[in-house]
This record gives sequence, C-alpha cells and structure tokens, in this order.
Amino acid sequence: MDYRSVLTTCPYCGCGCGMHLPVVNGRLERPIPVRTHPLSQGRLCIKGWAAHEHVTSPDRLTRPLVRSEHGLRAASWEEALSLVASRLGGIRDEHGPNTLAFLCSAKCTNEENYLLQKLARVVFGTNNIDHCARLCHSPTVAGLATAFGSGAMTNSIPEIEEADCILVTGSNTSENHPLISTRVLRAKRRGSRLIVVDPRRIHLSRFADIYARPRPGTDVAWINGLMHIILAEGWEDREFIAARTEGLEALRAKVADYAPERVEAITGIEQQQLREIARLYANARRGSIIYAMGITQHVTGTDNVLSLANLAMLTGQVGRRGTGVNPLRGQNNVQGACDTGGLPNVFPGYQPVADPEARAKFGKAWLGEGVHPSSVRELPAEPGLTVVEMMSAAAEGSLKAMYVLAENPMLSDPDINHVRAALRNLEFLVVQDIFLTETAELADVVLPGSSFAERDGTVTSTDRSVQRVRKAIGPPGDAQADWEIIARVARACGADGFEHGSPKAVFAEMANLTPIYAGISYDRLESEWLRWPCRSPHDPGTDFLHGEGFSRGLGAFTPVDYREPAEVPDEQYPFVLTTGRVLFHYHTGSMTRRSPSLDRELREGFVELNPMDARRLGIAEGGRVRIASRRGTIQIKARLTPAAPEGVLFIPFHFAESAANVLTHRNLDPVAKIPEYKVCAVSVAAD
Amino acid sequence: MTPTQQVREIAGRLLLSGQVAGVIGLRLEHGHVGPHLFASAEDLAALVLEPRTMLAPVCRMILSEFPEGRLGVVVRGCEERAVIEMAKLEQVALDRLVVIGLACSSAMARECACARPYPERIDVGEKAEGALPMDDGRVRELLALDLEGRLRFWQEAFARCIKCYGCRNVCPVCICEECVLQQACWVEQGRIPPSLPFHLIRFYHVADKCIGCGACEAACPMDIPLTALHTLFRERLRELFAYEPGMDIEQRSPLTTTLQQVPFADGRGE
Repeated sequence: MDYRSVLTTCPYCGCGCGMHLPVVNGRLERPIPVRTHPLSQGRLCIKGWAAHEHVTSPDRLTRPLVRSEHGLRAASWEEALSLVASRLGGIRDEHGPNTLAFLCSAKCTNEENYLLQKLARVVFGTNNIDHCARLCHSPTVAGLATAFGSGAMTNSIPEIEEADCILVTGSNTSENHPLISTRVLRAKRRGSRLIVVDPRRIHLSRFADIYARPRPGTDVAWINGLMHIILAEGWEDREFIAARTEGLEALRAKVADYAPERVEAITGIEQQQLREIARLYANARRGSIIYAMGITQHVTGTDNVLSLANLAMLTGQVGRRGTGVNPLRGQNNVQGACDTGGLPNVFPGYQPVADPEARAKFGKAWLGEGVHPSSVRELPAEPGLTVVEMMSAAAEGSLKAMYVLAENPMLSDPDINHVRAALRNLEFLVVQDIFLTETAELADVVLPGSSFAERDGTVTSTDRSVQRVRKAIGPPGDAQADWEIIARVARACGADGFEHGSPKAVFAEMANLTPIYAGISYDRLESEWLRWPCRSPHDPGTDFLHGEGFSRGLGAFTPVDYREPAEVPDEQYPFVLTTGRVLFHYHTGSMTRRSPSLDRELREGFVELNPMDARRLGIAEGGRVRIASRRGTIQIKARLTPAAPEGVLFIPFHFAESAANVLTHRNLDPVAKIPEYKVCAVSVAAD
Repeated sequence: MTPTQQVREIAGRLLLSGQVAGVIGLRLEHGHVGPHLFASAEDLAALVLEPRTMLAPVCRMILSEFPEGRLGVVVRGCEERAVIEMAKLEQVALDRLVVIGLACSSAMARECACARPYPERIDVGEKAEGALPMDDGRVRELLALDLEGRLRFWQEAFARCIKCYGCRNVCPVCICEECVLQQACWVEQGRIPPSLPFHLIRFYHVADKCIGCGACEAACPMDIPLTALHTLFRERLRELFAYEPGMDIEQRSPLTTTLQQVPFADGRGE
C-alpha cells in the first residue's frame, strides 16, 4: 500500500500557496490545500487545484534531443552534454565570452537559478544572464532600489488585511494573484477602503469604493496629480518626510505642474475623483499600494514605480505593519530568480558586478585562489545584456549562442517575428524544459528537465517567504532534475565547483554568499517561516521592510515627468492594445494548456473589446477578428465586454495560435529595459 | 493522557494487532499538517488532531485505490456523518473502515455551529453540548434581512467567486464523475465571477446530502459563507421531513423518494 503525501509549494504565481501532493502507487493525485499554511490558509485557486495535471501530460520530454538534418532526434545524455559543452566552449574561445547568453527561469528553484548564473559567470565568463523578470518587474527592482534601497514587496501578504486603505493599480489581483485578492476583499469587509485605478474594469473594481479609469500609459500623470493635491491640502506626513526622506523640494516643484485640470486632460480621471483618492489614501492610518504589470510594463515603467514610491513616502505610508508599496511578482520564483543572481548587473543578493569588492568576494568563493580549470581567471565587471537586448544582439549576429532554462521567449517576448529571426540566427541554441515549447522547437539541443513535483529545492514567494518544494515522484523517462542537469553541463565543461550533490548543499553555498539569505537553511525551514532579509541563524526574518530606516538610509524622492507611451494610436492603427494574463492560464501556457481542467475553461485566445467599438465595426460576440500592428497580424475571437474601455483592446498572451506578442513592440524603458507590453497601436477589423 | 496520545495509542493497537493495514489521520510534518496514511506504529508520533480537516474524501480515495483490507480512520462527528452519507452513495464500504471516534469540545462546536460535535461511539474526548446551527451569527443576520436584502447579500457574495471549484473539490458528498459545473451549457466557461447557476447547481446537487461540515467554506478563497446557505436548507429538511443527512444509513433523502415514502419502481430511493 503506497500512499504518500508530500508538502510542497504551488508552481504557478508568486502567492506561494502550500499544497500536499498525494502520491498513490506512484501516481500524483489532486493537491490538498494546507490549512496551517500562513499564506494560503487551506485555500487554492483553480490553477493550484490543477497543479498536478501538466506533470503527467503525454507531451513531457523524456529524452535529450539533438538537431540533425531531419529535425530533432532523441540522443543520450552523454551525446547531448558533450555537444553542449563543446559548442558553447568553442564559441566562447573563438568569439569571446560575451557572444554567449543565458536565460534563467522564474519557474525554477533558487538553487537552479544560482547554479545557472554561476555557470555563466564562472565557466563562460559572461554577465549575459537575465530572465523574464526583465519583462515583468525590472522597473520595480530598479525603481524601488533607487527610492528605498530594496526592490521587493515591502510588506508580507497577511499584512494586507491590516491596511485600512488599499490602492490597487495595474494589478488584476483576483485573476493573477488570487490568494492575495482574498486578503484585499477581507480587508474591505473589515472596513478598509478600496481604491482601484485601472483602464480595465477588473473583478476587484466591483468591490471598490472608488474605481478610476485612466487612459493606458498615463500613470505618472495621475500619481503626480495625487501628490499635487496632497501637498496643496497639507495632507503630507511632515514628520516622516523630515526624519526619513530627502529631496522633497524638487518633487514639490515638479508636481506643482500637475494641477487636477491638467491631470484630467491627460488621464481622463475626473478632478473630484482624483481628489477623493488623494484624501482617502493620504489620511489613512495604514495605506497600502498594490501594483503589478499595469505599472511596470511601460517605457515609463521605472518612472511609474518611482512615482508610487514618492506617493508612499510623501504620506508616510511605508515602513510600518500593514502599510507600504507592494509589487506582486508573477511567477512562483521570480523573486528568488532575482535574489539568486539571475540578472546581468548583480551577483546573488543584489551585489553589483561592477563593485570590485563584490567581484573579489565571489571570485574568491567561485574561482578559488586563481586555480580553475576553465579559462576564466576573473569575474567579468561589465554588466551583461538584458532579455530584449539579447534578442537584438542575436538578430544582428553579435550574440552567437544561448542557453535557455525553462523560458519561452517565442511567446513571452515582444515582437515574436523578430524573436524567431533572432533565435534562428544563433549558431547554437540550448533549451532545457519539460515540454517542447515554441522556443525548444528552434533549439539545437533540448535537455529534458523536471516538473515542480519531481525535484527538491526552494522558491521565494512574492512576499519574500522562502519555501521548500519537495520531490514527490521521479521525472519521466531519462528526464532529470534541472539542478543536476546544470551541474552536469558544468562538469562536461571541465569546471569544478558544481559537485554539491544536493539542492541543500547548493542552498548553503548560495546563502553563505548572499547576506539577505545568510540566516536561512533547509534545517530552519523545517520548522520556521522565514522572509528575507534574514541575516543570521537567529534572525527571525523580516515581515515588513524599512521599519528602522530605508535600506539605502534616507528614502529618496525622485521627481518624474509624464511622458507619452512609445506608440500612440493614429489613423492607421486607431486602437490601444494592452496585454496580460487570465485566471485560467499561466504565462506561455506550456503547463496550463496541457492541464485538462484549465484547458476546458479556456481553450483559445480572445480579444476583449468594448461593445460600442464592436457595434461600430460590425463585430459580434464570439466573431473572428483580425488585429494588426506595425509588427504583424493575428486572427482571434472577439469577447465583447464593457470591462474594456472604448478604444482599448485586451489580449492575453498565453495562446501561441493568436499570440499577442506578434503585435507588441520592442521599445524599452531606458533604465529597466522592459518593453511596453501595455500600450501599442493596433487596428481591428471583422474577419 | 492527552486526546492526541489516546488516539495514537488506539491507532497503534489497531496497527499492531493487524486489524487494519493503515490508519488515516492528520500528520504534522515539516511544520504543517495534512492527511496521512499511517502504516506503522512508529509513524504515529507525528499524528495530530488539529486543525480540523475533513478526512472523508481521503478515505474514499485510499479505499478505492487499495481494494483489499480494512483501514482505520480518525473521525469527528461531521466526518462520521460524511462517511455514512458516502456509504449511502456507495462511495465507501463501511465494513472496510474501523473508526476511532473523536469528540470535539464545545468551543469547537460553537465555532462550527455544530449541533452534534461527536460521533456515534466516542473513543476519545467527552460528549460536549452542541450549538444550534440556526443560532449562528451569520444565519441570524441573514434571516433578519428581507428577501430583497438576502438576494443582495448572496449576489455580492457570489460576485466574489473566482471559480476555483474548491467548494466542490473538498465536499465529501459531491461525487459526480462528470461535473455539470464544467459544462458550457450550464455555466459559461472561462470567466469570473461565474453566473448564478454555478452556485445554485453546486448547492442543490449536495443540498440533501450536506452534513454541515463546513469544508466548502473553509476552502473558499473568497470567504463566501456557503455554510449559512446549507444550514438554512438543512433546517427546512429537518422541519418538513424530519430528515437529517448522515445520521442513519438506512434513511434515504426525502428528495430522492416520493412524498408518500414510496420507493422508485427500480428500487432506487429505498
């Protein structure tokens, strides 16, 4: 009688819900929610309940694949690994380390991300390492680091219930972080005020005290407008500003230009409504801002984040329980992939590669005393390429090879036609994944990895909680745990320093080099709930950040001006397209579209459009429409709903056959290098 | 001996004597509690009793996967009634289960608005006084509203729904293999909140089988007070038909027999 129940963490969004995975005679059953879990409290969303379904899909990759004249063919691990080592090594030796690039994965564990960035830096000598955090919250990492000194959720998830005013903007929380919307609505029922600012009339807006609908891409304007009103009314927190911040005068001068009349003209938010939002938020005892990609996925993403940070500091709404600035991270381990160094400018723990001391520290740990079998003698000091820059470099030929860990840029990156041309132009592409994704189809070597149920490790949820994932069953066929694969690649390249033998040992090495994780260990995680920063073995971890002082010392006000989106509607492309996700699917759909209960809910993509626009264009509910931008054209089913404002379309990006990112453009935020997924100009016509 | 120690001891005797192949209960592991099949007496050191978790569906799954032998299970009053109701639906064979009956405290009874916080035979704990479900604060609040107010209450509550299906997934008496809630002809797919039929169909599919365990509400990420809805209906069943689900395996639901108590011709409803 073989029945086991394995405690693990949901593989989907950043909420980090707990689940027991029952295993009966070696077969996974539906997860059982964990009642003692402090984040999910015995509840799951529909994706969590279906978390086991993709694991047993017949589409799972079970053997390494190698490209031959006739396409991809099955190969042994020995053949695949030696090909990877010789081709990547050869390209490095012939063209230099920076002709290689590596994509980490927000779906993989802290240990796997740590190992892959170590592989890139130590074995291949490049900082060209990034992942799709670039495409979701890089402005958060950059913006909050500038303002506060640390780019993560300032509060824990349970604290949301303690807020008495919650401002949700650019986050469709019920669909993309369902178990966080639990907290928002609970706070609301307990008397908290709820303000939703979003171009789309999202689920939460039904429950809001105030729902404001700005034009897409005008966030800096309305946030500056709020600060204009707050300063004019004297609602700012003078004590907090004096004690904890610097740079108010420049901000005051800047927001003076954002009188409510002007803000209404730019954003469409009525003056009276803006005033009411300012009054409620500024005068709340504990105001909490919740935001996500509606704020970050703009060419002004970093400015948007800086504006929210300005607003919180101006009103003293940060640095206490229940009040702060809370970016919701989209993937189960996107926080951890950033924390463990999957970024081109920092080592694990956000220690800059440009800092000689940090380089010396990691050089000593990773390269020993200059004795190392690979050709790398010292760690590179130049920050590497970001995701979208990698694609451009590949397209123009300066990037020759890529190693992609469980990411699918062929669906997730902007301007897919360009991505395809770029990946095809590479001399060598390695993809490590559990399914033959659209990206893996283009690979020269495909390495079969493990699902969340098939390996050990840790992930870090959006509220900085570090949690275990545990192996419940073995991977199918010849597939292997991803940390083992990365270690085998390193060894095939002749490198030392990858003989950990277990995720626990990898974590210990990482924590030892990463001050914000230094006090965390597998042993402590057996009985304690730990959120970073956790700096020593007796440090209980940190629920809310910036209590004593900001990580950077004083909080920095940064005045920012409203700028138009990179591409605005014109006669040829009169609609604004905004992209995003829906409750029933996850990112590029490689897991959820292979989960029968999720596929059943939503089998194909759709474009959400306002019924008034639809009537004008002769488009009926469920009818096929053609949507075109300067980059490409897709055909898709129409969904008519007043949730979409007139002149604005919404398309979820999960669906390859009607891929929203065929339409999006590659214009980037100058600081964070995030593309503007939330605004591009398109035309729409009945098909 | 604490109640936990008593349960461990009884479970240990069952395992050592070979009366059962395993005992289904709650285990504390890695700092969290979840259902577990204790297969040896040594494992029992990790057996705990709280937080209260409906184990009946786990029983059903394990019994169906392992068609031989008997299993022990730790049951509270609600779980015993769930198992009886599942037996009526031919989901479990009662003769394959050896129950360890656990009584809840009166504080727990009040928390759950449970009238009978103990199983038929109590092995551990003392029979505590039950609470009156109709005295539950939320039920009283609801009844204080006029019909329009109640409709608005439920419309607001159901508007919160994010269609996780958790209420269905955890329900011990929700057993269809092909769920109509997932069929587009009844409930529009791929959108939230789901339309009213989602809730009404789920409700009436289990209404006359509901044993009031509250697992649906405990699993609801949106805190929809589903128990209140079921409590009101259960009260009507009791008033009109003197029927209470989960009490007597011989007693069939009045909604699946005729009002004259005449069984269906094919024997269903007997």
